[in-house]
Amino acid sequence: MTQSPRKTSPAHKPLSASFIARVGLMAALALIFSYVEAIIPYNPGIPGIKLGIANVVTVVALYKFGAKDAAAVSVIRVVLAGLLFNGLFGMLYALAGALVSLTGMILLKKTGLFSVTGVSMAAGVLHNLGQLLVAAALIEDLRIFFYFPVLMFSGIAAGILVGIISSLMMRALR
Amino acid sequence: MLKQYIRKADIILFIVLVVIGLAASFALSFSRSEASAGAKVIIESGGDLYAKYPLAEDRVIVVPAPKQVNVDAPAVNQDDPASAQYDYYNIVEIKGGTVSVTEASCKNQVCVRHGAISRSGESIVCLPNRLVVRIENGSGEGGGYDSVTS
Repeated sequence: MTQSPRKTSPAHKPLSASFIARVGLMAALALIFSYVEAIIPYNPGIPGIKLGIANVVTVVALYKFGAKDAAAVSVIRVVLAGLLFNGLFGMLYALAGALVSLTGMILLKKTGLFSVTGVSMAAGVLHNLGQLLVAAALIEDLRIFFYFPVLMFSGIAAGILVGIISSLMMRALR
Repeated sequence: MLKQYIRKADIILFIVLVVIGLAASFALSFSRSEASAGAKVIIESGGDLYAKYPLAEDRVIVVPAPKQVNVDAPAVNQDDPASAQYDYYNIVEIKGGTVSVTEASCKNQVCVRHGAISRSGESIVCLPNRLVVRIENGSGEGGGYDSVTS
């Protein structure tokens, strides 16, 4: 990588200190959740089925501070957790899932129709869908969509749980 | 108390998602059928066909993972291709009309724990080594179908 001189274009607004501190704290918290989940010795036998407790932090960030915070926390957490626990390939899947579910969450929240639980449920499903798409692209075989129903239901269940935990947490944080 | 956690739109979304999931599993259940007498085991590695064997004949196959999966993987030992001395590999076993992955170099061992498959359309996938093992009914590419309409 070449070093590029630091430029500050007029359009570029520097990140505020409070944003950086807040996102750093939340990313650290989410990383701990990821770690706790990684060390729990439980394996359902199908990749992709897990609670995703770290997403509680993303959901709370989205509702308390907005889309930018949620995106930053989510991406930082996925990259760090990928480097630390899941490996590069795991990171690729997780990143795809995180980006798809983030987009979905932001859009669904904008409609104003859904509660935290509903948004989180959709996010759980979208997360798995994003991972499945990357897996299908990597393995160049659409047959991997055999996993789709399983991941669909597990996404719904995990998303609802994460949503309920998130709303409880937000009530406590108020 | 539940009201603030669940709204009407949530329930509609939930039902929609569950229906999609059920429909998908229903549709997928049709694409699996009993393996016919001439069923073949198809092994794909890195998206390309690696080998094809009849399901009826017992054998053990060592499938090295494509090198590009892991940049630091050593080249496959060409002098001794039958050995399992690869760093990244899967061992596929065909036995008594069932296929299973008995050994894998990967960390998660999902393909090993997947167990045996025996029906046409079923597959075992190992993502780290980009391996797909599946059963297809004999006669040509069409699988077990006489004809397909859409």
